[in-house]
This record gives sequence, C-alpha cells and structure tokens, in this order.
Amino acid sequence: MIERKNARLLALACMLIFISTIAVLMARQFNLGPTRPVPAYRAFGPADAPVQIYEYTDFACPACRHAAGKIDEMLKVFGGGLRVNFKHYPLANIHPWSLHAAAYADCAGEQGKFKEYAGLLFAGQEKWGLAKDKPKEFEEYARQLKLDWPKMLVCSNDAETLKRIKLDMAEGDVKGVNATPTFFINGKRAVGAAQLIDQAMKFDNVLRSAAKP
Amino acid sequence: MNEKLTAKELAGLLARLALGGVFIYSGVIKALAPAEEFAYAIESYRLLPANLALWSAYIFPWVELYAGLLLAAGIFTRFSALFNGLLLVFFEFMLAQAWLRGLPITSCGCFGNGGSNSITHEFIQNIGLFVLAWLAFSYGGRCSADRLVGASAVEAAQPPVGAA
Repeated sequence: MIERKNARLLALACMLIFISTIAVLMARQFNLGPTRPVPAYRAFGPADAPVQIYEYTDFACPACRHAAGKIDEMLKVFGGGLRVNFKHYPLANIHPWSLHAAAYADCAGEQGKFKEYAGLLFAGQEKWGLAKDKPKEFEEYARQLKLDWPKMLVCSNDAETLKRIKLDMAEGDVKGVNATPTFFINGKRAVGAAQLIDQAMKFDNVLRSAAKP
Repeated sequence: MNEKLTAKELAGLLARLALGGVFIYSGVIKALAPAEEFAYAIESYRLLPANLALWSAYIFPWVELYAGLLLAAGIFTRFSALFNGLLLVFFEFMLAQAWLRGLPITSCGCFGNGGSNSITHEFIQNIGLFVLAWLAFSYGGRCSADRLVGASAVEAAQPPVGAA
C-alpha cells in the first residue's frame, strides 16, 4: 500500500513539474516576464506614457536605421503618449563592431549625448559596420559631438558597461528576439518598421488622445 | 478525514503554503528573467567561477520552483519541507560569508532583479522563512496531497463491500 501511495505521489509530482515547466516556458514566449529598466539616457518620452515601446536594436543593421527614423517620427507625432526604451541587441556574429558601437553609444549617453551619437552611428553604419580593423569613425563621431573621447574609451572597457549590454542581449534571447529591430509595443511583438507601424496603429486612439494638449 | 483542524496543524498548513509560495515566486521570477542576470548576482558572492555561476543560474530557479510547488501541494511534505529548509540554510551561508568578507553585494539575487534588500535584512528574513519550514515539517500534513493520496490508497486496498 505504501508503494502504491508513493507511486501516486511521484506521478503527481512529475505532473506538477511538467505543467509548471510548460507554463513558465510559455510565459517566456509570450513575453510575460519582467523587463529590465533602461538607463535614463536610453528612454525617450514621458515615463507614464500609455504606450511603452521596447526596441531591441543593432547599430550596424540597415533595417534598424530605417526603423530609427520611424521611431523619431512617432515620437514627434505622439510625444505625450509614447515612451521608447532602447535596448541593445548587437548581432556580433554578422556585425563585428556592433558590440563596440553599443558600448560607445552608452558611454556617450553617460555624457548626455546618446541619441546624437546613436544618430551618427546609424547614419555612418555602412562605413564602420563591416570594417576589418577598428573603425576610426567611433572617435570621429565623439569629437564631432565634443565628447570626452579618453573618458569614453575607459567607459567602453568598463565591466559595468559590458554587463549592461550583455544583459540586454540575454533578455532579448529570453523574449525570443532573433532579428533586429524587434519591438515590444505594450508587450506585443513586432519585427521591423512595417510591423511596428502596424502594431502601433492598434494603439492609435490611445496615442492620439494622450498626445492632445 | 474530518478531524478538527488544531491550531498547530493550521499553523503548519499556512506555513507550508506561505513558504511554498515564496519559493514558487522566487523561482518563477528568476526563470522568466535572463539567466545571466542571476549569474551576475551569484558571481558577486565570489564562491563560484563565472561559468559555474551561469550554470547554477540556469538550474537554480527551476529547483526553487519545483521545491516550492511540491511543498505547497504537500507532496512528500516532510521531505519537501526539509529540502526547502536546507536551501534556506545554504542561502544563509552564502549571505553570512558575503557579510563576513565585506563583499559589495548590490543585488542579493534572492528575488531576481526586482529590488534587493540589504544582506542583514535578507539574513533575518530567511530566519523567519526557516521557522516556516520547521512548522511545515512538524505540522504541515493537513490538506496535503500526501493525506489525500494516502486515504485513496487505503480505500483502493480495501476489498469492496460484499466481496466473497
């Protein structure tokens, strides 16, 4: 009788373990997990905006450059109703300098010029994106924006900077990001600028009412 | 089966559900976040090398989740309560050695990235949880799967009424 009881309990335990594993894996897939906050310099728009976009981007990816333009337009049109949170997702296997670009952009952000530096990185991505040696553009852009380059160099090698970027990437992996740019608009996934606009249209009423003065 | 629930049994039941709930929450919140995040917290205790910290971060959230589930459901209740208690002892050891070595722990990794208390606070909190584990071990048998399955096994073992 004890053997029968233990066998039943064991079966029950296996069933619970199986169901909970599936539930957690599905929750991951449906993006139900918490999202790490981004540093203030990587967030644009009011914190309490009704529409929150999390954008996973690679500075060397042409589709990301295109999407960045669309995001800027959306921020202008729906300013008050929209907050864009920028997350790094450098595809280092195909873009050898993406991780460096992400680190320099964050370091520019610490000097108050993330958006400007990111703009220059996107605009010049064809020059530095596939360079064989370390691109000189990173320094050029910093000097152009009057940033403290030696400080940026130190910052880009800092363990905290790299940790922040790697955590963004790991979070993207957990959320099933495998292409850039991937957006989560109030939790709904969109890949590429066309899907972003398509998804954003679903929040059109919210965005327009929040944008009204 | 319909015996009156004593105060001790009620305390045991509540302790079992509370401690199970804490472990389920802690496991789920970490399993939903990137393992690297928890791995950084483990690394900050400076007991494991980076690659082992990452493997621990992959495995540990699931262990916590399963341990919490089995305890809350009352499956092998005493063993589950003991196992959860041992996990708490392990956490206390980790916190104590970090405190004694003066390690700069910014996130204890106890409940993922969602805020972290001081090491002292977590240490005291774990003592409270350990008391729950003891209550669950000693008096946590009521309304448990152990009892329900045990009762049905007894019924199944008895010959049907009127059988020759």
